[in-house]
Amino acid sequence: MGELIGMWRNTRMVVFTALTASLYAAILIPFKVLPIIPGVTELRPANAIPVVCSFLFGPAAAWGAAIGNVIGDFFGGFGPGDLFGFWGNFLYGFLPYRTWELLTERSPVLRRPTEWLLFAAVVGLASGACALVIGWGLNLLGFVPFRVLGNIVWINNMLASLLLAPFLLAVVYPRAERGRLTYRHVLRGRQVRTGAAAYLGLTMVGCAVVVGMWLGNGLSSGSMTLPWVPEGTVGGTNALAVGWGLVPVLAVVLVGLFLL
Amino acid sequence: MKLSLYIHADTPLHRLHPLVKVVGVFCFFVAAFTAERPLQSLALGGLIAALWWLSSAMANAWRFRWLLTMVFFMTFLVWSLFFQSREPWLSWGPIHLGEDGVSFAFATACRLTAFFAAGLLFLSTTRVEEFADALRMMGVPAKLGFAMTLAFRLVPVFVDAALSVVQAQRCRGFDFDRGNWFQRVRHYLPVIVPVFIGALRRADLMAMALEARGFQRQGQRTSFRTYGLSGLDFAALLVSLTLMIVWLCWARLTD
Repeated sequence: MGELIGMWRNTRMVVFTALTASLYAAILIPFKVLPIIPGVTELRPANAIPVVCSFLFGPAAAWGAAIGNVIGDFFGGFGPGDLFGFWGNFLYGFLPYRTWELLTERSPVLRRPTEWLLFAAVVGLASGACALVIGWGLNLLGFVPFRVLGNIVWINNMLASLLLAPFLLAVVYPRAERGRLTYRHVLRGRQVRTGAAAYLGLTMVGCAVVVGMWLGNGLSSGSMTLPWVPEGTVGGTNALAVGWGLVPVLAVVLVGLFLL
Repeated sequence: MKLSLYIHADTPLHRLHPLVKVVGVFCFFVAAFTAERPLQSLALGGLIAALWWLSSAMANAWRFRWLLTMVFFMTFLVWSLFFQSREPWLSWGPIHLGEDGVSFAFATACRLTAFFAAGLLFLSTTRVEEFADALRMMGVPAKLGFAMTLAFRLVPVFVDAALSVVQAQRCRGFDFDRGNWFQRVRHYLPVIVPVFIGALRRADLMAMALEARGFQRQGQRTSFRTYGLSGLDFAALLVSLTLMIVWLCWARLTD
C-alpha cells in the first residue's frame, strides 16, 4: 500500500488522479440511465470508470475514484455520508489492479473464458468492499438500511463494470500501453509485492467482504445477533448492531489491505 | 449544462473565511444528528431557510428542488418500511410498518434533507478552490487538494466532450433509450471510448505543463489567494459553536 502514498511524488500520477476523478464525475452527473431508488441511486454506467482506470492508472485510480465520487455527490447530495463514499470508492479503485497483478501477469484485455472469470471475481471483490464500507457507514449514521444500500451498491457496481469495463479496456488499454501511459510505465522500478503475505492479505480481504455482506444483511434485518453486539442495540434501525457487528470484519479488511 | 454550484454574490456568508464555513457546516451536521422531534426538525428547517435567504442563493435551492423532494420522500418510504417497529401495524417479510417507524422515518427524512440543503448552501457560497484551501488548512495534503480542484475544472471539459459525442451519435440515428436495461447500458460504450481517449491525450501534456511550473518543487508553497480572519469570521464562529452547544443541551433535555 506504500505506493498509494508514494505516487503523489510523481506528477503524471497526480494528473491521472485528476483525470480519473473528472471522468468519473463527468459521466456520473449527466448520464443517469435507470433509477433504482429515485433520489438515492440509479444504474450508473460511470461505475465502470474506476475499474477501467484502476487497470490503467493503478494507485492514482484509487484516489481518483474517491475524489470523483465526492464531486459527483456535490451534485446529488453532499453530507456526512460522503466520508464513507470516499473510502468505499477508494477501495473500488484500488482492489481491481492490485488483485489482478497479484493473480496474473496477463494484460486486462480479456480473451479467454478463464480471464473473464478472473475479471468477474476481481470486480465482485472490489464492488463488495465498496458496498461493505458504504452500507456499514450509512446504516451506522441511520441514513439507509444496509440491506437496501449495501446490496444495491454491490450489484450496481458489478453490473456496470461487467457490462462496460471489459469492452472499454479492449479499446483503451492497448492505446495507453503504446503511449506508455499506464502506471506500469509511469512507476517504473516499483516493487510489486507477490509474496505469501500479499496472498494472505488478499484472502483476508476476500473472506471479510463475503462474510461482511452476509453479516450486514443479517444484522440490518434483525434476523441475526452476534456475541460482541451489545444488548439493546437490536431493533429500530439496527444502526448500532450493524455498526458494532461489522467492526471486526472491517478490521480484517484493513489488515488485509496493509498486507496486499 | 451548468456545472458549478457557486453563485456570485456579495453577502456576509460569501465573505466568510472558508475554514469558518467548514466549521459552521460541521456544527450544523452535529446539531442535525440529534434532531429527532418534529419541533426540532422545524427549527432546523427554519435555520437553513434563513441562511439560504441571507446567501441570495435561492436559485440553487430551486434548481435542486426535485432532488431535495425525492430525498425526503424516498428516505421516508425506506425507513417507514424497513424500521423494525416494536408494535407493527403490518408485518410482511422484511417489511414492518408501525407508528415508531413512521415517526423515525419522518425525522430521518427531515434530517437528511437538512444535510443536503446545508451541503448545497455551503457549495453555493464557497468556490471549489476555497474548499480545497480549507482542506489544506485542516491538514489535507496540498497535492490532494490540487487534484480535486483540477478534477473539478476538467469535469465540464469531459461533459462537453461526452455531450458532443451523444449529439453526433443521435445525428446518425442512434437511439440511446432503445432496448432493455442491458442494451441501454451498452449504448454508452461509443460515448465513453472517445472521451477516454481524449483524456489520455491530455494527460502527458498536462503533466509537462505542471512540471514546467515547478509542481514538484520542495519547500513552502505560496498561493495567489490569501485569507485573513475578520471580525465577521470570529462572530460567525462564536454563533455557530454557541448554537451547537445550546442545541445539544436542548436535545438532551427533551430526550
